[in-house]
Amino acid sequence: MRNKPITLNVNGEEHTLMVDHRDTLLHVLRDKLHLTGAKEACGTGECGACTVLIDGKALLSCLILAVEVQDKKITTIEGLAAGGRLTPLQKAFVEYGAVQCGFCSPGMILTATALLMENPSPSRKEIQKALEGNLCRCTGYNKIIEAIESVRDKRNG
Amino acid sequence: MDRVIGERIPRIDGPLKVTGEATYTTDISLPGMLFARILRSPHPHAKIIRVDVARAAKIPGVKAIITGKDAWGVRHGFVETPRYPADQYVLANDRVRYVGEEVAAVAAVDDDTALEALDRIDVEYEELPAVFDLFEAMSEGPEIHPVQLPDLAEPYKNIAGRCANSFGDVESAFKHAHLVRKDRFETQLRTHGYLEPQATVAHYDTTGSLHVWTSGMGVFRKRMHLSTALGIPDSRVHVHKAWVGGAFGGKIDLFSHEFCTSLLSMKTGRPVRFVAEREEIFSYFRHGQPMVVDLETAMDKKGTLLGQKVRCYNNCGAYRGSGAVCVFLCWGFIVLPYRIPALDYIGYSVYTNNPVRAPQRGHGAPQIRYAVESQLDMLAEELGIDPVEIRLRNARQKGEILPNSDPIGNAGLMECIQKAAERTDFCEKYEKNRSRQTDDSVLKQGIGMGVSSYFTGTLIYPNNSAAIVKLNDDGTAHLLTGALDTGQGAETILTQIVGQELGLKVEDIRVVAADTETTPVDIGSWISGLTYVTGNAVKKAAEEARGLLLLSAAKELEANPADLEIRDRRIFVKGTDKSISSAQAIARHIRENQGDPIIGRGSFRGLKDAAIGPSLKNAKGAWSDSYAFDVQVAEVEVDTRTGKITVKRALTAHDCGFPINPLLIEGQIDGQVSMAKGHATSEEVIMKNGMTLNPSFLDYPMPIATEMVENEYLHITTEEYETHKEFVTKEVGEGLVSGVLAAIANAVANATGIHLTKLPLNLERDLDKTDEGTGS
Repeated sequence: MRNKPITLNVNGEEHTLMVDHRDTLLHVLRDKLHLTGAKEACGTGECGACTVLIDGKALLSCLILAVEVQDKKITTIEGLAAGGRLTPLQKAFVEYGAVQCGFCSPGMILTATALLMENPSPSRKEIQKALEGNLCRCTGYNKIIEAIESVRDKRNG
Repeated sequence: MDRVIGERIPRIDGPLKVTGEATYTTDISLPGMLFARILRSPHPHAKIIRVDVARAAKIPGVKAIITGKDAWGVRHGFVETPRYPADQYVLANDRVRYVGEEVAAVAAVDDDTALEALDRIDVEYEELPAVFDLFEAMSEGPEIHPVQLPDLAEPYKNIAGRCANSFGDVESAFKHAHLVRKDRFETQLRTHGYLEPQATVAHYDTTGSLHVWTSGMGVFRKRMHLSTALGIPDSRVHVHKAWVGGAFGGKIDLFSHEFCTSLLSMKTGRPVRFVAEREEIFSYFRHGQPMVVDLETAMDKKGTLLGQKVRCYNNCGAYRGSGAVCVFLCWGFIVLPYRIPALDYIGYSVYTNNPVRAPQRGHGAPQIRYAVESQLDMLAEELGIDPVEIRLRNARQKGEILPNSDPIGNAGLMECIQKAAERTDFCEKYEKNRSRQTDDSVLKQGIGMGVSSYFTGTLIYPNNSAAIVKLNDDGTAHLLTGALDTGQGAETILTQIVGQELGLKVEDIRVVAADTETTPVDIGSWISGLTYVTGNAVKKAAEEARGLLLLSAAKELEANPADLEIRDRRIFVKGTDKSISSAQAIARHIRENQGDPIIGRGSFRGLKDAAIGPSLKNAKGAWSDSYAFDVQVAEVEVDTRTGKITVKRALTAHDCGFPINPLLIEGQIDGQVSMAKGHATSEEVIMKNGMTLNPSFLDYPMPIATEMVENEYLHITTEEYETHKEFVTKEVGEGLVSGVLAAIANAVANATGIHLTKLPLNLERDLDKTDEGTGS
């Protein structure tokens, strides 16, 4: 049998579901849990659009099998805005013009969220380094970096 | 009332996009949906002897298979005119002409089954000789299409498009020139790099309506193509809105997968989804237009352009795609920014057995501006004048008329050049960098300038836009527009226009967009005319609603409508506290006009005196109502040990008429600078014998966050936004990619003394070669 039941903790909710042992976490999130905020732009770990938080770390859900993360806490972009209230990073992305087509935005925001949890006052270079694995073709990264810096500065100011 | 126009208003779709709520085509899943896959040609050129789907059809779960037989003779093209009839098949008929051409498509209950079915489709091919190099294709290559241009004067083969235009006395210009240079510039095959893969979901329902969601750049053009290719009326094709994860020119006209997904749904009666894999996109989908430019320029000793002879050669791939348009546009982007008294221009688009090519942000401008701006700096060096002076000497000025008779209006080019030079201390840095080219330093600094200009929409289907503004009972409004927001912020700027006219805040306006059944026609997000054409349609619709609202309020307030103003959903007699709510005025209008709620409608079409757009054959005829002008300065650092080029910062001075939303404009500039940086220094789709050798983001290096270029912006405002008057905006979303590309190349030359004539700039490859020109 290739299919087996697993339990995933996603955005604070437990889901028990049947998965194929080959199913990536991205596939299960998108096609079985209908959490389509994580995007597939390459499927081979080269673009960062599928980034999710696993126990607080930003990881690529297209390179992780769903069966591997049963005992972990998974957070997708849908899990950030509690009760519809945007996080400071989400707000800053909107206000600073860091979003254009938006396809990379969920991955970018989750990567930046993990960065600020780990390092509350990253330098511009550290921000750029953290975003290295998240491709954006629209913005040139300028306003994304400004948005993250604004959240950093507000927290520290 | 505060201004809504001209303000840095965050995009209205921002919250949807930062929470994952925004639904893209790839996110759409319908009950009972099937999964489509496409079988592609492994050969660059072959006859199809036989396609046998019997084994595939027997696999449980395979619901439908289509081949060329299901679409015999169905052709489409980016251009479909008597001179350039549609030449591309939705599914190959009896011949394939490039590796990856679509041969069959399968719909199955899941993706694995669809893939298995592809393996079991037996296709027998008879291979034919193929040609990949454009000059070989022009001279000795096999004929890729039997029909050639009937009026072709030259003995060339495989010509897919030819645009020729000349004016002035070119011979005399070259005869009397103080200086003549002839150089060849080559631009590489680059891809768009949109993050959302090409994707389509189609559902043919039991009433005979086809519902389509597709990652595109305009719903009405998609509808036209689908309805023609499928042989069903426009009214039966309903293209729905889905957010678009980037396009940059690569998703405009019909793609085979859109046809196949639709036909598979029609065959099965079930929804069908196709999503392209990234490797498929890199290998088989349409990239931009690579170009070889032979540029010969005659100049007097002060640096005034006397004349130019230009030959452009574009390798357009196995079908015409946008090649014939691109060689027209190269003409346009050469005559726009500088005054050229005499020109002899011919552009050829040439068939080869490569995948088809599409427009890509700038469409011809990066190719030709890189050539012209590079050579201009070479000429300036030879004459001993600086890059700023030579540009000021030749730049078009306010009020000039283009060779096709289009006026350029309040062109701000001179001001852009002057301000960009001042702001960056251009001349000082340029001289300093030059003096250090040959010293012992390892890291060289360079500064370069590039000029570009771009048109603001033209006539190509659907030509026009219309809009509806509905007022709600509480005084808020809905805008119905066919515009599809591809990430540039179309919905936001259109909302700002409604807000400005109706005295409403952006949050009091909701948009219904890009739905062929419920929203009026729209020109599309791909011809650089959306803000101008759709914007003016929206303005008229909002003005009409405003007029009715004020008329009703005037009765209530016993005042003249001209004395009224709207603020925050209240209508005031100007200069007094006397007011009523918009809701009251709307209610009165409904009561007094047989239930008519206030609905404003507007429409707009540019080039009001022209029946069609300019001739692709000879570049004659009106092209656009307004033109944007831009000057960009790039500063680079070159590591002479490794040849590594770092683009440190860029300044953009641009005349976009007036900036409706500076925040969004800066976003457009940032994106174009980054894209140009990639085009200048790292990006190239590498092909051999029709196969793509680097089909992944890892092997096709687009700029990443650590390579961000610092940007500065100078908005040169040359137009105003006035009530009861059409406004003139100018393009800002794609032309800028070309000026900065040229600026980077010139900055590298300023740092090293080496003018590289091939993109991407590769100092390692070209270190031994210096200037390849034949300057006299």
